Amino acid sequence: MDTNSISANKPKLMRDTVIDTICDAAEIDKDIIFITADLGAASLDRFRRDLPDQFIHAGISEQNMVDLASGLALSGKKVFLYAMAPFITARCYEQIKSVLASMNLPVTLLAVGVGLGYDHATLTHFTTEDVACMRSLNGIEVLSPSDEESATAITTEAIKNPAFRYIRLERQKQERLYHGHFSTVLGQGFVHLVKGSDLAIIACGYMVHKALGAQKILEERGVSAGVIDLFRIKPINAKGLAETLSQYAYLVTVEEQILEGGFSSAVLEALADQNVMMPVKRLGIRDGFNVLNGDRDQLHELYGIDMPKIVDAALSLKEA
Amino acid sequence: MKINDFEEKALWLRRELWKMVMRQRKGHIPSYYSCVEIIVALYYAGVARVVKGLPDDPNRDRIIVSKGHAAAVQYPVLADLEFFDRGELERYTQPGGLLGMYADFRIPGIEGISGSLGHGVGMGSGFALAAKKNNKNYRTFVVLGDGECYEGSVWEGAMFAAHHKLDNLVVIVDRNELSILGKTEELLSLGNLEAKWRSFGWETRSVNGHSFEELLDAFSLLGRTRGKPLSIIANTVKGKGISFMEGRAEWHNKMPDDEQMATALEELGLKPLVEA
Repeated sequence: MDTNSISANKPKLMRDTVIDTICDAAEIDKDIIFITADLGAASLDRFRRDLPDQFIHAGISEQNMVDLASGLALSGKKVFLYAMAPFITARCYEQIKSVLASMNLPVTLLAVGVGLGYDHATLTHFTTEDVACMRSLNGIEVLSPSDEESATAITTEAIKNPAFRYIRLERQKQERLYHGHFSTVLGQGFVHLVKGSDLAIIACGYMVHKALGAQKILEERGVSAGVIDLFRIKPINAKGLAETLSQYAYLVTVEEQILEGGFSSAVLEALADQNVMMPVKRLGIRDGFNVLNGDRDQLHELYGIDMPKIVDAALSLKEA
Repeated sequence: MKINDFEEKALWLRRELWKMVMRQRKGHIPSYYSCVEIIVALYYAGVARVVKGLPDDPNRDRIIVSKGHAAAVQYPVLADLEFFDRGELERYTQPGGLLGMYADFRIPGIEGISGSLGHGVGMGSGFALAAKKNNKNYRTFVVLGDGECYEGSVWEGAMFAAHHKLDNLVVIVDRNELSILGKTEELLSLGNLEAKWRSFGWETRSVNGHSFEELLDAFSLLGRTRGKPLSIIANTVKGKGISFMEGRAEWHNKMPDDEQMATALEELGLKPLVEA
């Protein structure tokens, strides 16, 4: 692993840190194969140049990319597939379900630009249902890192223990949340980033940063909110989550997903299974939403999932 | 073995399949019967390299019946190769049995899952590419249905295999001209499939898929395609061998009544089956 990439001051794009990590490993392990469906990255140029035998351009053919990966994986290869989030999920869902899930093959799906990451590209590029559709696949792990270090640690694990995994990468640079200790909490599946006493806000990926912003505003208003980064959506650590949330009276969930079957659904299923009942406000994309223009944060405002809305939700729970 | 022996083996396979299916009245006899000669050629005529009793031999040729509803055509052959106990043929589709209606990769000798159509070319490309990368000289054979060629993913795979010069990959298209609802050329024309595969950069050959002579002649191109994958369009008859099923779409999933059963048994040279 390239430790410099983490200790450097400026955060790198998640895709670059992930590809660099895979490239480092692939230099030693010749069974690692990286396949892209015509999505690039600055770091990918090194992979293509240095490891041409382990790099495949599948063309804009996500379906074939997945089928191809199955044959390679059945032949002992450790395969990483890389594409824009909407196209490595819904576009080839049939292949992922019928082939990868059916045979539980050790293939890692790397999705770039989850949620509203491709903001201006609008509806065809929104990935507002990937959590719901991917977590319902048999035997899959669903991971959603929130910064460079968590993305690196999750990738390192995917290299060390190949399995059927879906890793959700943010398209934009993310502020650093972890400083050298993430790998020690990886197995727990979530991180209790900020401990509070009144209510908890739970999110993943980019929305963790929003939750942290809301937490600060709430603090100024005298409300003590905790923040949880639930980076492993499946298998979800239901028991650990239930124990942590038992310290709180209320829960706010935040996501860039259609609420039906998405992130908060996963959280509430886990809590229900653990017999945890608590008042909850769910912020997410409402069914019937319209395609609107704007950047990611503007879209959050338009869809009612921005920081002020998180604060409102928290206050309404407390004041209810 | 000579052509006569292969024909004898084809009759044996049709009989075994009939018994296996009719015990449970579950299966796709016409889809199996159109590719019986293709399967016999692969497994018994020295085309594919498979070793009796060694389903996991690392140097084995990989055979994928991508038209998954017909993957069961392999079961009697795989039992004959001692990949699993012959008794499994009697437990076909039964709880606790190994063999289901569709291909399951956990069955020794079945390389990958199939059932949903259009995955075999991509999967086969993965096997073929891995062989090249690992310096292995096994070959990969993929049996496709012609109706399967409606799936766009088939052509994504075709483009990929040609670009990567996968001359260790062979696709055999079981061109029986029928899908579930009728004749392909009437419902939605597949047109000249050989020309389509050729235009994607494949070496092609069109043959009578029930003639061992023609099939073996086409398979002999393998290794002589100068960097191209090979596509063999095997022109076949769905339900071949049972007069009332031949070329008739309605038999895709239908089971015979008593009178039809008697006719079929006579045509196959089988004694009446004892009902379970």
